[in-house]
Order: sequence, then structure tokens, then C-alpha cells
Amino acid sequence: MATRLACAITALMFLLAPQFVSALDAPTDDEGCLMCHKYPMMGRITDEGVLRSYYVVPHVFNKTVHRNVPCRDCHTYIKKLPHETVNTGVTCSTECHSIKNPATGKPFSHKAIVNAYTGSVHGRDKIATGGDTDKPYCITCHTNPINNPHEDLPPKRITDRCVLCHEKRSFVNQWYSHTSRRIKEVRRSPEQIVELCSSCHGKKELVDRHLELAKKEGRELGRKFAFAVDSYKESFHGKLTAKGFTKTANCLDCHADRENYYKSVHEIRPSRDPLSPVSPQRKVETCKQCHTFADENYAALDPHPTSHAEDNLFRYWAEKIYNIVGEVVIVALVALSLFETWGRRRDGVGWRLKHGSSWWRKSKRGRDRVI
Amino acid sequence: MKLSSEARDILETSMRQNKVSDADRAHIEEAVAAMPDDRVLLYKNVVSNPVGDIYRYSIHIRIQHMLTFVTFLTLAFTGLPIHFFETFWSGPFNEILGGVSVTRIIHRTIAVIMIVSMIYHFLTITLGSVWRIRAGTFDIRRTIIPLWKDIRDFRDDMAYNAGKRDQRPEMDKFNYKQKIHYFAAAFGNMVMVVSGSAFLFPEFWASVLPSSIASHWQELMRLSHPHEALLALLVIAFWHWYNVHLAPGRFPMQWTFLTGKITREHQIEEHFLEYLRNLVEVPEERKELIDMLESRELSAIDDSQAAAEGAPS
Repeated sequence: MATRLACAITALMFLLAPQFVSALDAPTDDEGCLMCHKYPMMGRITDEGVLRSYYVVPHVFNKTVHRNVPCRDCHTYIKKLPHETVNTGVTCSTECHSIKNPATGKPFSHKAIVNAYTGSVHGRDKIATGGDTDKPYCITCHTNPINNPHEDLPPKRITDRCVLCHEKRSFVNQWYSHTSRRIKEVRRSPEQIVELCSSCHGKKELVDRHLELAKKEGRELGRKFAFAVDSYKESFHGKLTAKGFTKTANCLDCHADRENYYKSVHEIRPSRDPLSPVSPQRKVETCKQCHTFADENYAALDPHPTSHAEDNLFRYWAEKIYNIVGEVVIVALVALSLFETWGRRRDGVGWRLKHGSSWWRKSKRGRDRVI
Repeated sequence: MKLSSEARDILETSMRQNKVSDADRAHIEEAVAAMPDDRVLLYKNVVSNPVGDIYRYSIHIRIQHMLTFVTFLTLAFTGLPIHFFETFWSGPFNEILGGVSVTRIIHRTIAVIMIVSMIYHFLTITLGSVWRIRAGTFDIRRTIIPLWKDIRDFRDDMAYNAGKRDQRPEMDKFNYKQKIHYFAAAFGNMVMVVSGSAFLFPEFWASVLPSSIASHWQELMRLSHPHEALLALLVIAFWHWYNVHLAPGRFPMQWTFLTGKITREHQIEEHFLEYLRNLVEVPEERKELIDMLESRELSAIDDSQAAAEGAPS
């Protein structure tokens, strides 16, 4: 397998265009990784038939938040070049050796947030098995976007002042971009949050797989797990969010703590966990974030309403009755109108007034207008 | 025309309430006698002005109709795109008025105007009835209140449509269809106001209701608001617009909601008992009717006189 892979990679490297990469664009590469990874078609096709690209686009990578981190600070398993087959890949809890936390002087790491995430209902290892493979890992949500317009052109009139002491414009620009990006609110919009959560919770086959798995393992799932997305979309919160209204609750407004939002979104807990903001113990407090006068009765209202019989029998019947009444009324009224039209038309009424009367047509009942 | 006992009672009540003079009474009886026994011949042969002949609705009722008309359609226009948020038309409908953050404000503001209109209507009919009771001119048969007669009218009207009956029943100022429609609208409005308040003040409803029903109540209201809205819109679209726009004889439009007047043929066909009151209250109408029947040689007086003289009618 490893031999086949090495052959495939070598063939790709020779076949594919090193001429595309200009020598002028080549970034600093002290570790020599770009010796191979500069080739645009560097990659392989996995046993599952998926194309995996190992191409590093220098000018793109240089705009990401990790641009200053040397490759091997994350890819710690690379000991020599060419390197061995990679089995585990990068884990986000790895400590950087080259980047220090400026506040503590310790190696920079995402360990704290990864630990919070691991303890959440979404927690999994990088290499997961069974049902855990469906759970999100860091990069499911952190796609590391490179589209921050602030990073393209830091305002010169500001950075000019910085350069006076910090001397190096590239350093100043990077520092400015890093800081401005974090000062600016970078969380997803409510619509994007719903879309992100729906990418798993709204996927029927994934949800069904977990329902089955939980049943087999005797685990308890949330009452709304099977239709969390559909029911949210049907709710008032969901409808307004879908129409771009931002002041109504999205998934994370209720399922994460507002007080410690950025950490809390990593440690989503099931509603049966007393620490969850939607647990019976904390629900009133969560509702009160927006609905100031919410009490226990209010917190008992269903934010994920459905008319499924197994979820809410009352609503199921109420909706059924409403539908039947509505259909009967409409059919009856249309029928009545048609019947009346037919009856009166037979007696000689016309649609328009002619010589001051609508009854100018010939009646089938034998009494006509005197002309 | 020989009036039915019901029609005669209406006529006598109206003459008594209007304190008509002997001369007027004679004139009224003459107009009634001139009408052919076959009422169908009567409404087929009168001449009508399309914009209306006979006064029917006060300016207050017309303003209230206009308020209901505007608020109802605006509420539907701003509300339904939120409920049917996944449909292709919900996006453009919302965007026309500036997006959901604007339409929700419009929706609530218009809802308040609709409630004011309801109160205005309630005051109009209540104070109007009190005034008539005090003046001795109140007649429950002339109001929108449902009576047993309406069931009989419905049965007879169905028989007429089916061809089992010669003519439509003698119906009053408000016939069975109008009463159904009115109370459906009144009930629907109440449902919309109460359920809308459950959307707007969910905390209030949760705090005043017992915990065992607070959740069910909110769910019922969440269902009721869009269902009732859609039903109302369909009833308006299918039935009300049929009755006032599409029905033969009413096409292209009944102008009553603007002029307050109904056409003569319509009044005689669907509201004959009210037409008798019109004969009592509007002397010009008596004259117009008698002249018209004579000119068309349909006057029943001529017939009876001719019969008495032994001549062929």
C-alpha cells in the first residue's frame, strides 16, 4: 500500500507542472516542505476513491491565521524528508514549539478549548471510529476562512505610525490584520449557524444512524434529536432567522452559554445535563436572556414544535382537525357557489347588467323578462 | 301581490314603527297590491342602476368595511410570507416592504388598526341598536342575529337552486349567507387577535394560565393564527369575492361598499322583506315601483281589475 502510494505521488510530481510556480513567489521554507508540496497536483486518490490534495498554495497559506506557525509545529510526526506515511494527521491540541503565548510565555496551544470540546456531546478523537465519525472535529466548523477583507489592505495611515518604531512593515501588517480580525465580530451569522448545525443534524441518514446506534447501545438521546432542524425551522425563531432577522434565537443562543459564549459553543451538552443552558434547571434563565418576563410556565413552551404524533399528540390532533375543517369549509363554499350559479343561471340571470337588468337571459323555468 | 303572513307581519311592524299616515298606508298597500304574485317576475323586470338604487349601509359601516378590507389584506400580505417561509414567493413578498424586520412592525401596527376597527364596529352596532330600541324602531329580524328562519331560508334556497322550488325564499336584510359570513369573520377576528397576542406576549399568557395548559394553549395559538388566516383568505377569495364580484348579476362589482346602495333587483331577489320596509320608508320607491309595473303592464292591480270586468288578462 505504502509503495503504491509513493509511486503515485512520485508520478504526479513529475507529471504536474512545476513551471506554474514562479521562483519569485516561493515563500521562506526553512523546513524544506515546499520541495514537494509546491506542486499543484500533489495528492493521491484514497482507497475510498476520494482525491486528497497535499498542495500548499503559498500565497493562500500566507493569509491564514496559521501563517507564522512552522509546518512541523503541527505536523510533529515529520522527522525526516521524504517523510513516512502519515496516519494520524494534525490534532489541534498540539503545543506549538515556535510560537509562544505572549501573555504567559508558554508554548501556544488550543489545548484548553480542545479539552472543553472533548468533554462536550460532540467530543471525539481526531481518528474516530463507529458513531463518533459523524461528529464534528475542529476543522468541520473552523474552515479557517481567508476572505477577511481587513487583511488585504491594512490602512496605511495607521500602520505608518507603527512602522516608525516596529520598523518592519510586513510585521506591522500581519499584527494589524491579526488584531483587527479578532476585534471584529467574526462569529457566523444566525443563518450560517443554523446552516452549520443543519449540515449534520438535518442529514436524515446521519440522524437515523445515530438513533439506531443509541437504541442498540441503550443510550438516551434528546427528545427532539430526530427532528431538531425541521422543528426549529418550523418555529417562530427559525422562520425569522430564515428570513434574515438577526435578533431572534438561533441554535447557539439557547444551546450555548451567552456569558461564556466562545468557550461554551465548544462544549454543547445534552439537555438532560444540568449544566446545559436548556436543561430543566437552567431553561428559565436561558429564556430570560431575550424574554425578560419568562417564568417556569414559559420555559415549558416547546421551542421545537412539531405535529408528529409521537412527539406531541395534542398538536397532532389540533392540526389534523384544523386541516379537516379548513378543507371541508373551502370545498363546501366552492360547491355552494357553483350550485347557486347553476340554479340562478337556469332561471335566466346573466353576468352583466343589460338595459338595467341582469335577468335578460332566457329562463329554463318559463318566466322571462318583458322586453 | 298577496303577501305571506311573514311578509305581512314585517310590513305591519314597519308601518307601525314608522308611524305612517293613512295616506301613506294606502299608497304602500297600493304598491304591494301592484306587485305580481310571482316575485320572480318582479325582480326580473325592475330597472336597476348598477351602482345602486336603495340605501342599505351607513357611512360608518362602509368605513368599517374599508378598514377591514385594507387591514385584512395587509395583514395577510405581511404575515403569510413569514409562515410559508420556504415557498418561492415568501422571499419577494417580504423584500417588497423591506424585509422581515420591517414587515413584522407593519403587521403589528396594522393589527392595532384592525382592533380599533373592531371596537368601532362594535360600538356602532351596539349604540345603533340602543338608539333604535329607545326610538321604538328596533326589529331583531332586521339585524345580523341568526334566527331559525335562516335555516328555513337555506333549505328553501337550496331547493330553488336544485329546481325544486319556484322562487328564492323571502329573505331579510341579512340573509343566511351574510350571517354565516359575518359571524365567521367576527370569530376569525377574535381568534386572530387572541392568537396574535399569544405571539406578541407569550410571557403574559404563560404567566396567567395554569401550568398544565399554558404549553397547550401556546401551541394551539401558534397553529390557530396561520390556519385561521389562511382559511379567512380562502373564504374571502372563494366566497366573499364570488358573492360580490363573480356571481351572475353582481359582476363585475357590487358598489354597495362605496355607495352604500344596493340594486333594486338584488334587493327584491335576496332581501325581499327589507324591500317591503323600503316601500314603507322611501315614498319615492313606491312611486317608482308602481310606475314601472304599469309601464310594463305587470301591475297586479290591472289584472284583478281586468278580471273583475271579465276581460282577458
